[in-house]
Amino acid sequence: MIFAGLGFAQLAAIFGIAGAAVVGLYVLRLRRRTVAIPFSPLWQRILKDKDATTLFSRLKRLLSLLLQLALLALLVFALGDPRAAATLVKGRTLVVLVDASASMQATDVSPNRLEVAKNEVKAMIRGLGGADRMLIAQMDAMVTPLGPMSGDTSELERALDQVKATDARADFPRALRFATDTLRNVELGEIVVVSDGNLGPALDASGPVHLGDDKLSFVSVGTGKRNVGITQFSVRRYPLDKSRYEVMLEVTNTGPEQQDIELSLLGDGNVVDLTKLRLMPGERLPRFYPNLSGASRTLEAKLGNVDGTHDNLPADDHAYALLPERRRAKVLVVSEGNTYLEAALLLDEYLEVTQVTPVDYVNKHGGGSGFDVVVFDRVTPATPPRAHALYLDPRGPGSPVKVEAELTSPGFDKIDRKHPIVRFTALDDVNVARGHKLVPDVAAGDKVVGSFGGTSPILVAGSRGAYKFVALGFDVRDSDLPLRVAWPLFLLNTVNFFTDEDARYISSFRTGDVWRVPVSTQATEATLALPGGATERVPVHEGRAVYLGERAGFYELTAGDTASTPEQPAPISGANKTAFAANLLDAEESTIAPVPELVVDGKTAGKVEGFHVGVRREIWIYLLLAAVLLTALEWATYHRRITV
Amino acid sequence: MGLLESLRNSFSRRSDAGGSRANEDLFDDDFQRKLDYLAIVSRRVFAGRMRAERRTKKTGSGVEFADHREYQPGDDFRYLDWNVYQRFDKLLLRLFEEEEDLAIYFIVDASGSMAFGTGDKLRYAKRICAALAYVGLANLDRVCIVSTSDRVMMRMAETRGKARIFKVFRFLRELESAGTTDLGDALKTFVAQHKRRGLAVLISDLYDPQGFERGINVLRYNKFDPFVVHVVDKAEEKPKLFGDVLLYDCETGDEREVTVTPKVLSRFREEYEKYIHDIDRFCATRQVPYVRADVSVPFDELILRVFRRGGFLR
Repeated sequence: MIFAGLGFAQLAAIFGIAGAAVVGLYVLRLRRRTVAIPFSPLWQRILKDKDATTLFSRLKRLLSLLLQLALLALLVFALGDPRAAATLVKGRTLVVLVDASASMQATDVSPNRLEVAKNEVKAMIRGLGGADRMLIAQMDAMVTPLGPMSGDTSELERALDQVKATDARADFPRALRFATDTLRNVELGEIVVVSDGNLGPALDASGPVHLGDDKLSFVSVGTGKRNVGITQFSVRRYPLDKSRYEVMLEVTNTGPEQQDIELSLLGDGNVVDLTKLRLMPGERLPRFYPNLSGASRTLEAKLGNVDGTHDNLPADDHAYALLPERRRAKVLVVSEGNTYLEAALLLDEYLEVTQVTPVDYVNKHGGGSGFDVVVFDRVTPATPPRAHALYLDPRGPGSPVKVEAELTSPGFDKIDRKHPIVRFTALDDVNVARGHKLVPDVAAGDKVVGSFGGTSPILVAGSRGAYKFVALGFDVRDSDLPLRVAWPLFLLNTVNFFTDEDARYISSFRTGDVWRVPVSTQATEATLALPGGATERVPVHEGRAVYLGERAGFYELTAGDTASTPEQPAPISGANKTAFAANLLDAEESTIAPVPELVVDGKTAGKVEGFHVGVRREIWIYLLLAAVLLTALEWATYHRRITV
Repeated sequence: MGLLESLRNSFSRRSDAGGSRANEDLFDDDFQRKLDYLAIVSRRVFAGRMRAERRTKKTGSGVEFADHREYQPGDDFRYLDWNVYQRFDKLLLRLFEEEEDLAIYFIVDASGSMAFGTGDKLRYAKRICAALAYVGLANLDRVCIVSTSDRVMMRMAETRGKARIFKVFRFLRELESAGTTDLGDALKTFVAQHKRRGLAVLISDLYDPQGFERGINVLRYNKFDPFVVHVVDKAEEKPKLFGDVLLYDCETGDEREVTVTPKVLSRFREEYEKYIHDIDRFCATRQVPYVRADVSVPFDELILRVFRRGGFLR
């Protein structure tokens, strides 16, 4: 017998003090209530029998005292938390990894696999031995311990209640490494994996996971296999016709049976396309929808069985995507008049062009504030505009680049053809009467897009502060460029270079990844509205909001204020809000057929054993129960005047 | 009730265990009106009697019929009125007047136990005594009152005439409950002091540790006609006690630790009833008129009952 709580000496001292107090109180007894009576002989007659039993009464009082002392002894003994020595030594340390990945939302078992898994773990908690300790961790895209290592059943059950399913796949190697790290230097460590088994190999960039001496147990959850899921889904606008877009998706039948499904595509909530498909077991069916229109923002794909039923995993039957926001770019042309320029800008209906004279530019338009692009035609302002700018033949101190010696008959001898402003253009044979050599600021990151003779740049792109600029070193009227197709292409490419969406724009994120969403302010924190309606504060690091997404659906990120600075452009209306979508899109996670056995590090996981519901090897509980029982007994005997 | 008051009450519990109502006037105008009424009733009961004649309860020795009274066990069959029995199927005893002077002695038990109970037995006893004395005085009898405990404590000299009722009131007002009960010794003193025999009305709760019989027997053996008015309080039969208590005899000071349970209470009630029954039987077998006076019954009703039974005055 070992005392896990207070030591024997402490227990003896407590019992001695408390016992003396009990005996003292017993000896003192409470003073009886004095009641006057008129004629005591009447009472004496009926109490004659009582006198005969005085000895017995004393014995009963002694019994009462002994009961009190027994109660005290039980309570003091319970303080010591006595345990059998063998039990204490054999206490196990368990790390329970509860799979909360998307496949655990499968409804092949009622109500779903995750709830069944939680019930399995709950049974384990109730079957813990007195010396056993358990830690419960949720295993999804990462591993999250939900409480401390504990033997307290209520604490463990509270931790278990926090397990929530996600739309991500499980990072099994990470979870195993967490478990092995937790159990390092622990005797009788045991890892219990409660999952449907679709976890992939226990292998990551650091190599295979080694379990060491830790025992691995596996509780398999789930029975069904029937599932068809959307495993790819993306959308993009056509670069040259942004009112139209194309969609690519892939549907996979991960089940063992042929499935007839109905695939619907919704744009802004309206059905754009409805297709019936037949998928053979294991078949992956890609679908491509070119030249779609009618949706400006959201796209969704939904799966359903033709017969109206649902497969076992609804989580992968719905995919989301967002089209990049399409809006009219506001262009300010500062010119005394240039027909070529005005005509070229009329070509794109998504341009909102305002033309002003150089005088009005300063007086009425506040230096370009509120515009996406300012085009300076043979005019160079003293101060740079608060917008992206195209300089045609810049001059003077306001020029973003230094303008040097005049060039006679320059041409585009060298062109950076990969630069977006010269995409689809043929500038090699443009004839220019005269121009000026531009000197790029290499330190500021300026790029020479076109140069004359390899040494005289005449087309430079770069940025000053937060604003981009493009400078063309000649007046277009002194060349035949406006007469060429390259002229409007160059102009529109330049506007797009300034205003086009991020080339890295993706129509949806994957759940389970760490998302880095660009934000347009200097805020260090942003608010993210989740698909369910809840909001979370997320940190912004290096201009991007960082968030580990685990739910499929549409998100909206609101970042900070809308104040603009020279270094940070004022966002155009609504630009401080960024919307994006997230999807599971994981064929492996959509494969829900439960795996009967789990092999890690060459070992096959064993069955869970050693949990006996209702048996706690903690003696103090029984001591307390005995104390309660004795109290009830004492109460009953007292009120029935047996022990008084 | 404030804490100080409760503490004071707990410290003084032994001194006023009965909770007497000393400040209240026992014999106010209302009481006296009731006495006048009782006097009228008593005259009706004793209609035909010559004024200033002296009466005795010695039935049979006279020749003039006075009244009927209910038969009580122990009465002489010879005086049963068989004609009435034949007509009304009631056993009534014929009473005859004797032309003899009558002295009425009221012996009021003023021991400590008389102050006990919810209704204050001594107060009740005083009112009975006053009422009966008034009737006696109104009928020109000689009335004498003594108070006893373990001895004769106070004595009001014999007096006659209705106007002396205020003397009776004054005497009774001064009576206080105190001391233990020893009716035997007290009444021995009483009979020694009063050579003239007559009706001796003993008003007592009969809580005599030496036995209630002694006192009654002293009266009987010394040729007095005893009449017992037993003052009882129902609260004494069913005391409100439970749990661990220290019983304290308000007369003797004896203490006794008792754990009162329903079973103990039941046994006490049995014992109390047996005690009452013993008194009743004792009086019946010795032809001693006996009236049990419950303090919860208005005293005038009790007095009327006494007249109706005809055992007290004739």
